[in-house]
Amino acid sequence: MNPEQEQFRSSLHSLLAASDVPSIARAWAAGSCEPGLAMWRKLADLGVTALAIPAEYDGLEATATDLVIAFEELGHHAVPGPAIESVAVVPSLILSRLPETAADPAVARASDVASLASQWLPRFASGETLATLAWPPHQPFAVDAHIAALPFGGTPGETVASVDPTRHLSHIESEHFIGGRNDRAFDLGALACAAQLTGLGQAMLDLSVAYVQQRVQFGQPVGKFQAVKHHLADVRIALDFARPLVYSAAESLAPQDISAAKVAASAAAQLAARSGLQVHGAIAYTREYDFSLWLVKARALLPAWGTASWHRNRLLESL
Amino acid sequence: MKIVVLVKQVPDSGAERNLRAEDNTVDRASANNVINEMDEYAIEEALRLQEAHGGEVTVLTMGPQRATESIRKALSMGPDGAVHVVDDALSGTDALGTSKVLAKALERLNADVIICGAESTDARGQVLPHMLAERLGVAALTGARKLTVDGSQLTIERQTEEGYEVVTAATPAIVSVWDTINEPRYPSFKGIMAAKKKPVETLSIADLGVDAGEVGWAGAQTTVKEHTKRPPRSAGQKVTDSGEGGVALVDYLSSEKFV
Repeated sequence: MNPEQEQFRSSLHSLLAASDVPSIARAWAAGSCEPGLAMWRKLADLGVTALAIPAEYDGLEATATDLVIAFEELGHHAVPGPAIESVAVVPSLILSRLPETAADPAVARASDVASLASQWLPRFASGETLATLAWPPHQPFAVDAHIAALPFGGTPGETVASVDPTRHLSHIESEHFIGGRNDRAFDLGALACAAQLTGLGQAMLDLSVAYVQQRVQFGQPVGKFQAVKHHLADVRIALDFARPLVYSAAESLAPQDISAAKVAASAAAQLAARSGLQVHGAIAYTREYDFSLWLVKARALLPAWGTASWHRNRLLESL
Repeated sequence: MKIVVLVKQVPDSGAERNLRAEDNTVDRASANNVINEMDEYAIEEALRLQEAHGGEVTVLTMGPQRATESIRKALSMGPDGAVHVVDDALSGTDALGTSKVLAKALERLNADVIICGAESTDARGQVLPHMLAERLGVAALTGARKLTVDGSQLTIERQTEEGYEVVTAATPAIVSVWDTINEPRYPSFKGIMAAKKKPVETLSIADLGVDAGEVGWAGAQTTVKEHTKRPPRSAGQKVTDSGEGGVALVDYLSSEKFV
C-alpha cells in the first residue's frame, strides 16, 4: 500500500468508525434502509462507488488494489447493502459489454450497451443509485433489489431469507443477463468478496481478542489460557496468509489468482468466525450482540461469487 | 477571498505523550504525529467559506521536515496549496517566536481571513491568534462556534462558559475556531490523489527575514526548567452497601459540595 492508499483506508475507517454501523445494519435488517443509504451517500462522497468506473462516466478509474482496500474496510465494519454488486460487478459488467472492450463481439450489442453505460454509470459513480443483479448459478438471488436498480433488467420476485438478515434476497424474473465463466466482472465480484471476507475476519479477530481479555473464568481472563490463545493465533496466521493473496490477485487480475485469493480469504474468515464463536461462548450468536453481525455476514459471503470448491476447481484447471 | 489556515502537527492526543528528559520538549520522534484536531475544523471552515464566497485556501505550517506528512493530509481535504516554514534554527521556539515567524509568513500571503484552531492539543496555550493579530495589526475573532461572512464583514459567535458573544470585525482578521463550529470532512479518494500534485512552498527563516537569534532556544522568552510525570491515579474509596450505601454516597457527595 502506498501512502495515498493508506490514507484512503484510514479515511474510510474514520468515517465508518464514527457512523455506528451496527445500528445502521440492524435498521437495514428490519427494513428501514434510510440510515444505511445515507451512509452509502457518505461513502460515495469519499469515492467508494466511483472506484471501478472510468473518468468519462464521472468515475475515478482507480486500481483493483484501491477497490480491495475499500472492500476490506466495508467488511471490517460489516457495512450492509449490495456493495459487491454495486461497486464492482455491475459497473464492470456494463463496461465489459461495450464494443471496444468486449472480448466476444457476439455479446457486444453496441447501442444498447453504450446507452446502458451513459444512463447508469454516472449515477453509480455519484452514489445516487446502488445497483444489484443475480448471476445464476453462483448468485441465484439478487441482494437488496428493493433499494437498488437492476440495470440488466428484470423485476424482483419472491423473496428468500438469508442467514444474514441485512441481505434481502429476491428471485429476479426475466431473461436476466448471465455472464461467462471467466467473465472479468464475475472475477471482480469474487475479488471484492475475498477482500470483504478478510475485513470481516479481521474485525472478528479484533472483537474476539478484546472479549477474551475481559471475560474472566477460573479466576483469570479466558485469554490467558493457552488453548484460547492458540485458536486466535491460528486465525491471525490464516488472515496473514490470505491478505497477500488478495492483494496480489488485485495486481494480476488473473482468474486463477482471484480463485486462490477467494479460497484463502473464505477459509480465514470461516476460521475467524468459528474460533470467535467458540471463544465468545454462546453470546457470539446472540442477535443483540454485535459479533453476530460479522458472523452471519461472513457466513453469507463464504459461498458467494463462487464457492471454495468451484474456485479450487478453476485453479486446478489452470495448472 | 484569500484564506490562510494555520495547521500544526502535534503528537496524537489519544496516545500517551512524553517530554524528553534532556531538553524538556515534547517527544515528537516516538509519538504518532497528526494534524492538531482543532485545525481540522479550521480547514473545514475555510473550505466552506471558499465554497460560499470563492477564492483560495492556503495552509500555513511551521514545523520540522516530517510535518510535510500533515500538510499533505490537510491538502487532501481540499485546500489549494501550502506554505511550510521549516528551519533547523526554529527548534525550541516558544509561542512568541512562533508568532513572529508566522506573522512574517502571513504578511507575504496577504490573506483576507486567517483561520486557526482555538488551541493545539499539545501546548493548549490559546495565545497564538492574539499574538498574530497584534503583530499583524488585524482584528482577532477568537473562540468561534459560528462564523458568517457578509462582504468584508466577519461575524462570529464566541463560545463562552455561559453562552456566546457576537463579535464583528472587518477583514483582514484572524479567526480561531472551536470544534463546535462544524463537522470536518473526511478526505476523499479524489482529494487524496489531488493533494500529491498541489504546490507546497518551503521557506526558511532567512527567506522571511527573521534573525536566527530571535527564535529557537536563543530567542525563547520562556523555558521549562523541569518536569515530572503526573502521579498515577490513586485507588478510589469503596462503599460497601449493607443497607446504608445510598446514605454513604450522599455523605461523600455533600462533603465534596456536589449536593
